[in-house]
Amino acid sequence: MSKTVLKVENLNMHYETIAGNVSAVRDVSFELKEGESFGLVGESGCGKTSVAMSLLQLQADNAKISSGSIKLNDEELVTKTEKELRKIRWKGISIVFQGAMNAWNPVVKIGEQIREAIREHYPNNSKEENSEKIKKLFDIVGLEHSIMNRFPHELSGGMKQRAVIALALSCDPKVLIADEPTTALDVVIQDQILKEISKVQELLGLSLIYISHDIAVIAEMTSNMAVMYAGSIVEMGKTSEIFSNPRHAYTKLLLESTPSIVGEKKKLRSLDGEPPSLIGDIKGCTFSPRCPEPSDSCKNQSLEMGLIEAAPDHFVDQCCVECV
Amino acid sequence: MTKYIINRFLQLVLVFFVFLVSSYLLFNAMPGDAFTSLLLNPQLPPDAYEKTIALYGLDRPLSERVIKYVQNFFKGDFGFSYRYYPKSPIELIAERLPRTLMLFALVNIISFYTGFLVGKILAWRRGSKSETWLTLASVLSYTVFYPWFALLMLWFFGYKMGWFPIGKFLYPEKWYDAPFDSDVVFMMMIKFTVVVSIIQFIAYLFTRNIESLSLRRNARLLSLVLIFIGSYFYWNTGDALIKKPYAADISFHMILPTIVVTIVAFAGTALLTRTTMMEVLKEDYIQTARAKGLSQKRIRDRHAARTALLPVVTSFIFTIVTIIDGSVLTEQIFSWPGMGQLLLQAVLNEDIPVAMAAFSFVGIFALVAHFVADISYAYLDPRIRIKSQG
Amino acid sequence: MNDSINEKEIQKKVRREAFKRNWLLFRQSTLGMIGLGIVFFFFILAILQPILFLTGAWNEAVYHPVVGYEEIKVNLLVVECPDEYPTEKYESSNACPGDGEITQRQIYNPNINPEVGDIHVALLQPSPPSARHLLGTDSLGRDIFSQIMEGSQVAFLLGLLSAIIGVSISTILGTIAAFYGGRVDAYLMRQSDLVLMLPSLPLLFIISAFAELKIWHLAIVLGVIGGLGGSVITIKSQALQVKVKPFVDSARITGGSNMTILFSHILPNVAPLALLFMVFSVTGAIASESILSFLGLLNIEMSWGIMIYLSQTDGYIFSGMAYWWLILPAGLAVTFLAGGFYLVGRGLDDVFNPRLRKR
Repeated sequence: MSKTVLKVENLNMHYETIAGNVSAVRDVSFELKEGESFGLVGESGCGKTSVAMSLLQLQADNAKISSGSIKLNDEELVTKTEKELRKIRWKGISIVFQGAMNAWNPVVKIGEQIREAIREHYPNNSKEENSEKIKKLFDIVGLEHSIMNRFPHELSGGMKQRAVIALALSCDPKVLIADEPTTALDVVIQDQILKEISKVQELLGLSLIYISHDIAVIAEMTSNMAVMYAGSIVEMGKTSEIFSNPRHAYTKLLLESTPSIVGEKKKLRSLDGEPPSLIGDIKGCTFSPRCPEPSDSCKNQSLEMGLIEAAPDHFVDQCCVECV
Repeated sequence: MTKYIINRFLQLVLVFFVFLVSSYLLFNAMPGDAFTSLLLNPQLPPDAYEKTIALYGLDRPLSERVIKYVQNFFKGDFGFSYRYYPKSPIELIAERLPRTLMLFALVNIISFYTGFLVGKILAWRRGSKSETWLTLASVLSYTVFYPWFALLMLWFFGYKMGWFPIGKFLYPEKWYDAPFDSDVVFMMMIKFTVVVSIIQFIAYLFTRNIESLSLRRNARLLSLVLIFIGSYFYWNTGDALIKKPYAADISFHMILPTIVVTIVAFAGTALLTRTTMMEVLKEDYIQTARAKGLSQKRIRDRHAARTALLPVVTSFIFTIVTIIDGSVLTEQIFSWPGMGQLLLQAVLNEDIPVAMAAFSFVGIFALVAHFVADISYAYLDPRIRIKSQG
Repeated sequence: MNDSINEKEIQKKVRREAFKRNWLLFRQSTLGMIGLGIVFFFFILAILQPILFLTGAWNEAVYHPVVGYEEIKVNLLVVECPDEYPTEKYESSNACPGDGEITQRQIYNPNINPEVGDIHVALLQPSPPSARHLLGTDSLGRDIFSQIMEGSQVAFLLGLLSAIIGVSISTILGTIAAFYGGRVDAYLMRQSDLVLMLPSLPLLFIISAFAELKIWHLAIVLGVIGGLGGSVITIKSQALQVKVKPFVDSARITGGSNMTILFSHILPNVAPLALLFMVFSVTGAIASESILSFLGLLNIEMSWGIMIYLSQTDGYIFSGMAYWWLILPAGLAVTFLAGGFYLVGRGLDDVFNPRLRKR
């Protein structure tokens, strides 16, 4: 069995706003093994990106990690100072942000922006070594070497996104986070980029965290996955297991709302209502107001949320176990 | 890029002609007619009367006079000054332009740099109480009534404290037995400054290719030290050694005007930098830079400030004329014998040939400054640079 | 008929709501509120003076900013200054004559010849602040506070007038350039370029040296120079953005004439930017007037610039803070009113420019 690279335990993060504290990440725990790909799926605003930002400790100024631990190779990240964190960023954990269009500084050449990252983490490299490295990265993601000397606005969206992947790989990270890397790209390019990421992951033996609202992409990309709802993980396990045997009502709805090309034709279901407000203290199951068939204990909010192992390696929120 | 420069240059030439003609028409259209009063000027020497009529073609129709004026302009023939009689306006300008240029360049570079630095820091510390107060102070220094403020500073530092001379270009008593003209020394100072800036720029270009950051920083420090040692030897050998005390006198007279203008002029840049940088800091690539593990300083200077520089430079292009306006006032208040003072004195004394010549040259000056700022903007923004190539 | 009335009322209501919302946004900007406070303060000063004269609280003969005069007498002891310092009484030559003292030489009048030890009755001009003259009087015995009020009237009149002229010109030209495009646009843009590059202060020197400028003339000159300059370019680009908005297309499809579209759709959307320009150009106009007055180039009787001009030509500025009431109030008034308008402009910018809005 391969060893655990990243271990997140009981992570809680909230935003301090004028209206009150917004708990964006609530009691999230998961593990990432070496070479494994892990998917995080959920609707917009469910805290996927907040989790990603917490891993890099890049949350906005008004965001606070209130408790929990993030361990990268048994190194605790939450308590680290900014200076120590800078060494971890990109070399330990790197990220492909959503929206590659804006990830590049418009007035600095692509090559220089990648070089800058390498220089930060390998200060003793010579200029030629760095150039070699960038060329190699461009080969991996399928870009021409000449793009090094181009400015971001001279590249197409797909090229920019490939370059972003090259950038993310530039310091040999152990964990790569891909945060909806294909938004704002057209479908053909999306597919190419997804293939690129899988290829790179296999080639370099990276551990990948793939974040998306699109459960179909998660199915394609990952071996393990977690479903997030309103800041907490409601179901987690092997991707194949969750797809074939979803246990949480929300997961089921998610799956039923996604069209499938193969198999019998079914009516797509839509999910009514909106995610709950996360301001202030939250009690009981957050999903129960939208749950199509809530149990009594769900309705009167007597049960606290928390994952239990419903089947081997398949965790479900305990509130919803009874629904099944 | 070349195409862009040529384009801008052609535009500039066109604008310049329009400027020449319209400034002539302006003088011509003045109530009381500047040229008639020119002939009525009692200071006008008798033999100059006929010459003046011939020079400006005063007995000809307006259209011919305009053409004549433009021709005269390119011949450098502006007639002669009434106040400083046998001197021609062009001689007066040749004497005073370098002084204006030097002060203007120095003040602008310093105030732009300070303003950018302060604005950067304001944006970086956004939201804090001290930021509000600093912003308020910048606004006040931006809108302060400049001549008044300059006079107060002159009073305080020059008169009360006695730290700096009260205006003027030099201490006349120091120059009584000087073996050379002040302009010779001043030209030497200008040459020295230009050479040092060029060397520094070359050093910057060379060190740009050093990959390791710490090595690059050390190389730049070393180049600075070398330049410093070089200039020390320059000023302590041969010809320059004799001129050193005189050069020091002129530099001493430049300090207070520079400080005062900087206090007033930096604020505009600072306020604008603050606003644009706060916008830039919300951009995604700042997040990318943080994720890359870059240091705060590097993110601020390399990513945020670099992009925020663009709109600041644009507005700098727009405000160059205002800065020239300001330098006219500065020269008047600090009795700095430059172009601005020349113009103002000529206007006040109705010395029309000098006023016209000085006005035209201030106009050229504004145009050229505009042009330089335009080009540097295109250099800074690759988006424009590339567009103009294609 | 009924429908159109209703529609108008609805429009009115919508506008009122928008105004309310903008006001709430403006109030969030601390700097903007400070600016508004400053402007309001000077506005009160400007309208207070005529009220004081009309109600008779102030006698025009005494308090008129230009021709008012009050004799303030002071008794001074005539002394003789020693030749060598320090003495017991005076530490240095600066200390003689001291407070309430005068030397024989300082009394120029040949008709009176007081002895040392006599009491000399002198006119106190300029006189320091007192209960009657809150900010003292100037060297001609005129009330400084009244002059400040007069200057405030001049500043408001000139600033607002030139700003209105300037902004009208640039709004009209900017929208025309955006709307018609082509040659009109190219011409207007080149013209703005030219005006932008004009060294405006030297230009003003020349104009004001040869033409006797009154406040009205200056307002027009400043307005025209400001209105033809860079603001045309900015307003044009704003109008261009509005022009491609769907509601302009739909207005055109439903048969709106060019004029209707220009006046009912494009102008209202350019208005906030124009307002912003107006506020900022008031700052510039106040400064320009003060500078020209300061250099003695304007043909007006009283303004803040003139006050500083007088205090400078009379040499009080280098007397330091001994005559502070001649130097500080006018300069601070220019600085603060210009700053106040600038801050209001910044506050409005926060309202109209959503990118800068706080969360």
